[in-house]
Amino acid sequence: MDIDTIKNFTIKDYHKVYKNKEVSPIEITQFFLDRIHLLDSSLRAFLTIDETGALQRARELEEKKLGEADLPPLYGIPMAIKDNICIQGLPTTCGSRILSNYRSPFDATVIEKIKKAGGIFLGKTNMDEFAMGSSTENSGFGPTRNPFDPSRVPGGSSGGSAASVAALEAPLALGSDTGGSVRQPAAFCGIVGLRPTYGRVSRYGLISFASSLDQIGTLTRNVQDTLTLFTVISGQDNRDSTCAPYPPFSFSDDLPENEIKKMKVGVAKEYFNPGVDPVITQRIQEILKILTNEGFEIIEVSLPHTDYALEAYYIVAPAEASSNLARYDGIAYGYRCSHPLNLQDLYTRTRTTGFGKETLRRIILGTYCLSSGYYDEFYLKGMQVRTLVKKDFEDCFEKCDILLTPVTPHLPFKFGEKSHDPYQMYLADVFTIPSAMAGIPALSLNCGYHQHLPIGLQVLGAPFQEGKILSFATFLEKTLSVPPPVIKSVNLKKEVL
Amino acid sequence: MGRLSDTISLSEIKKVVALAKLSIPDIDLEHFFIEINNILSHFDKLNHLELKEVSPTSHISWSQPPTNPDESREWMGREELFSQAPAIIDQYFIVPKVVDKQEE
Repeated sequence: MDIDTIKNFTIKDYHKVYKNKEVSPIEITQFFLDRIHLLDSSLRAFLTIDETGALQRARELEEKKLGEADLPPLYGIPMAIKDNICIQGLPTTCGSRILSNYRSPFDATVIEKIKKAGGIFLGKTNMDEFAMGSSTENSGFGPTRNPFDPSRVPGGSSGGSAASVAALEAPLALGSDTGGSVRQPAAFCGIVGLRPTYGRVSRYGLISFASSLDQIGTLTRNVQDTLTLFTVISGQDNRDSTCAPYPPFSFSDDLPENEIKKMKVGVAKEYFNPGVDPVITQRIQEILKILTNEGFEIIEVSLPHTDYALEAYYIVAPAEASSNLARYDGIAYGYRCSHPLNLQDLYTRTRTTGFGKETLRRIILGTYCLSSGYYDEFYLKGMQVRTLVKKDFEDCFEKCDILLTPVTPHLPFKFGEKSHDPYQMYLADVFTIPSAMAGIPALSLNCGYHQHLPIGLQVLGAPFQEGKILSFATFLEKTLSVPPPVIKSVNLKKEVL
Repeated sequence: MGRLSDTISLSEIKKVVALAKLSIPDIDLEHFFIEINNILSHFDKLNHLELKEVSPTSHISWSQPPTNPDESREWMGREELFSQAPAIIDQYFIVPKVVDKQEE
């Protein structure tokens, strides 16, 4: 097996070569471990590489000697997991120094499900600390590079997962999306990223950032693999009371093309403002023309509160984060400062030295928004705007089946370009935040390149309408035929080291 | 420090930092003060919306949250939980003395 063969593989292709005994799960696992050894000293997508565990798991799967018809859906498929999702026995740092010595004592529900489905874990991937960021520059362990251009960011916060899949260090990965943390890095790395409906996938074992927004999502090289992985990880879980009481996603039959073409495609003018890079707007206009020629009905819709969603998010998310991160106190687990003078000193010095700057900023902001006298001024207002943003989408999906928007206002930016101004960095998620606030599903698809940098297209749907999104994305992927990323090496120039 | 347009004053930010159990040196606090005021200045946009009749959405819920049966369950042993602690003795967490001299 070589990269030119594997670059276009779907899970079904891996299963075909396994069934034909052309290659074994151990060999495929070794192939990806070799890719990690080749690229990751420059790319830095992984925080933990579990070589022994991955090969051991591949060996166990081979020893089971399953019949051709019995292969579970992720049999022998190696995966990368974002470092805020717990795998028993492995570190879970959340990209934070405060959890640098933490090892998960249990599996997240999604990990249990993937294990049952025959998946193999290559390791844990880099991220902005506690998923707060859009570039991985906020990781306590140094940033990940963009595989297309190592002087640029891979996006974030699931930047490690996205870069690993783009560079084919792993064929698929899990990330988490609070305000765009799966979709934005997927767009920056030229792959497919799905944020499912809030509550469609259990959050048990996902370390909390903002609980009313956090959702585990998938990062893959093609839509078919998104579908397979999403089917495995979705479904009710009695260990997460916010998990919707519905059975796992099922997509047994591909929709016929004529059914897909009956979908009404919405385009919201608020997502095509002058602040968007003209290259992105132009590419989406080209795609709308292609869709019109294919017979799709394109409808202009309006989401009037889009412009307020970012501000509301930066009240609600830090407010929830300030509460969730109160648990890091240096007592029961994680980092503790040296020689504390008293209990107060233990708490404050542990937290102040253990958290990075962006996390501290959001804790302060969130604490302020929740503090006495400011709750109504900020937090209540944030929640009211959330109601309006949600209503916008409800009205919109009465008129259309799916909505097309850019994922990001800009192409992947350079390291340091936005990190000096937190608000500029926050704007990177301006098109992914509204749907996260509304809890609706959204997918990021690579729709082309500009000067070797990928352009992302966002496909949004009504709650639990992932089927429509995935059918449409499958059609578009086939129609556009954008080649998947092929990274032969990650060459670092001196200035980016 | 402190400008007319500041939403949060330096003394307020010091109070908030203490509430959040943080201790940030003055030199760093000035940076946070400027950055947080910059972020808060953008929130002013929300004052242009008429929100009196709008109910708040604290979380997205598609159905009544299910409840678990009221039964005790085995989860994991004490040893496994204590293995993560930075300082323990005989299955107790070690913390600095919490009673100061005046209270003794």
